[in-house]
Amino acid sequence: MKGEEERERIPIKERPEWADVRPVPQDDGPNPVVPIAYTDEFSETMDYFRAVYLADERSPRALHLTKEAILLNSGNYTVWQFRRRILDALNADLHEELQFLDQITRENAKNYQIWHHRRWLAEKLGEHVANKELEFTKEIFCKDPKNYHAWSHRQWVLQALGGWEGELAYCSELIKDDIFNNSAWNQRYFVVSKSPLLGGLEVMRDPEVAYAIEAILTKPENESPWRYLRGLHKNDGNSLANDPRVASVCLDVLAGKTDYVHALNMILDLLCHRHQPSKELKDAVDAVSPDPNLPDAGLAENVCSILKLVDPIRANYWEWRKSTVPAQD
Amino acid sequence: MEDEGFWDFDSESLSFEKDRHILYLEMMYQLLPAPYQGQEINRLTLAYFVISGLDIFAALDRIDKEAVINWVLSLQAHPKNDRTFENDQFYGFHGSRSSQFQSNNNGAAQLNGSHLASTYCALAILKTVGYDLSQIDSEVLLKSMKTLQQPNGCFMPIHTGGETDLRFVFCAAAICSMLKNWTGMDCEKAKEFIRNCQSYDGGFGLIPGAESHGGATYCAVASLKLMGFLEEDLLSEKASSNVSNVPLLLDWSLQKQAFEDGGFRGRANKPTDTCYAFWVGGTLRILQADKFMNEEALRGFLLTCQSKYGGFSKFPRLLPDIYHSYYGFCAFSMLREPGFNPLCVELGISAIAAIGL
Repeated sequence: MKGEEERERIPIKERPEWADVRPVPQDDGPNPVVPIAYTDEFSETMDYFRAVYLADERSPRALHLTKEAILLNSGNYTVWQFRRRILDALNADLHEELQFLDQITRENAKNYQIWHHRRWLAEKLGEHVANKELEFTKEIFCKDPKNYHAWSHRQWVLQALGGWEGELAYCSELIKDDIFNNSAWNQRYFVVSKSPLLGGLEVMRDPEVAYAIEAILTKPENESPWRYLRGLHKNDGNSLANDPRVASVCLDVLAGKTDYVHALNMILDLLCHRHQPSKELKDAVDAVSPDPNLPDAGLAENVCSILKLVDPIRANYWEWRKSTVPAQD
Repeated sequence: MEDEGFWDFDSESLSFEKDRHILYLEMMYQLLPAPYQGQEINRLTLAYFVISGLDIFAALDRIDKEAVINWVLSLQAHPKNDRTFENDQFYGFHGSRSSQFQSNNNGAAQLNGSHLASTYCALAILKTVGYDLSQIDSEVLLKSMKTLQQPNGCFMPIHTGGETDLRFVFCAAAICSMLKNWTGMDCEKAKEFIRNCQSYDGGFGLIPGAESHGGATYCAVASLKLMGFLEEDLLSEKASSNVSNVPLLLDWSLQKQAFEDGGFRGRANKPTDTCYAFWVGGTLRILQADKFMNEEALRGFLLTCQSKYGGFSKFPRLLPDIYHSYYGFCAFSMLREPGFNPLCVELGISAIAAIGL
């Protein structure tokens, strides 16, 4: 990974401030397995790191050295741990550290150790950095709206430091940018069920069902709002079967005659939970059935047959689902 | 493990190139190129990919087993005194010399940087090359591993602190399983944590509340399997799992196979990627539901990610890396490609290695 400065690196052994330190080479033993072709820069940096680590030298130059080591191997948790010890010992300015972290996170946004260090910092700095942390994760999402680490960090910030006020609106914004962003849908579920400001899932169910339905009608092939809709009913088949809006959106999607795989999947689940289909629903299924005159097949079996054709990559699954349809009353 | 790849525009072969892959693994065994230095701390994991990879190809004769055993054992952390150890230190294996320090006069430096994931890889390698694990001092390892378990059931990877998530629950379960000794963890608590990681959509996230993810889902399901919490016939109508919503998990997992190219994706609406053929395909195998995925389509996708240099890349037309290569090989083993050793999916090693000789 590139260092921040473009200028030529001066080997550590040529730097006067390091003249008193003897680097400690790596001792791999006689027959190391999968040796790595280290660059000279890497070897030298780690040799000096070993020296300060063994001497437990918690000084400004050691701090700088950990930065160099991190830039070469940002996953090295030993270096990170030692950096934390030095920061504590020097009583360093943690806001400056946060700025340093901002810089390297932008280049290395998918590294576990960097985000762990960030959480350590945020914990120490406390509530007053809640907003900054939310802003920073937003910045990451501008480039990568699905960054898993950033989402975990954001959820932790909300729960540990607060800042829930704008979160539901932020989810709406992200979904508006990309209705297929499953991370945003997941965050929405997190907010709706956990935010102390919103009252919980039971209270939020109604408006959120309406929100999910609108998204489904916009892009019926989108897996996210269908899962979200099920989640709002806690995946309870009876609860879904008893909510007329669920059958209704399936009907609307079928009527569009396109992208109805998820709708059929939902209808199948409703039927398996004793939902009584309306005549409109039966007609709508027939309308997309390749052979409406299938002999003696119940509606659920019929749905499975259609799914085998329109979602052929999962044909074996739909065949199995057909075999597990509960007996009709 | 997610790097930017380099583009490779020459057309790929459409048949499985076994010899090329073995050659690729042999080369990596001899020397890993410089770009891998950023993963130096996890060198043992890279070794696991290479050695287990060769085992899956039934090509372990290419390596020096004795050298491997000696090197792996040299990475084990030992307490200073016999039979006593400081509380709150984990005595597992280091990933490389980068976290392992020789004793010094000072005494102040933290010499033990052993890590749960490295420990899993160490034991997996040792089992793969046929080393008798009863020769390991597992009492100290397991007793100290228990101190890494959190009140909520999750595991920390290293005693000096680190992120806690499902990956390390899996490592702990696999370690106990391989050592045939479950005193290293509280399984009930771990099961509770796993249950809390199941998302509203049926997959599992790395921590409670996190988005469902193929890798996390494998960790969850494999851990439950290893701990003995998965009923025999999960798909039957009579089965009702108290640990997770299985029908929803099944539907979520199968939905991850993309009709566009036959590959598996790790999360809804994300691109397909070689490694999820193992993470999600493996989950389906553990649930005995792999018959529901489309194997031909998956095979077709994987071949587009096969590199002419040997190995696999994450997406078509990128250069290969050892991580995606290993999981590509695992996927082909699960697809019953001729000449492969079968896998013990929940342990992440060959079935022969898992049984032990």
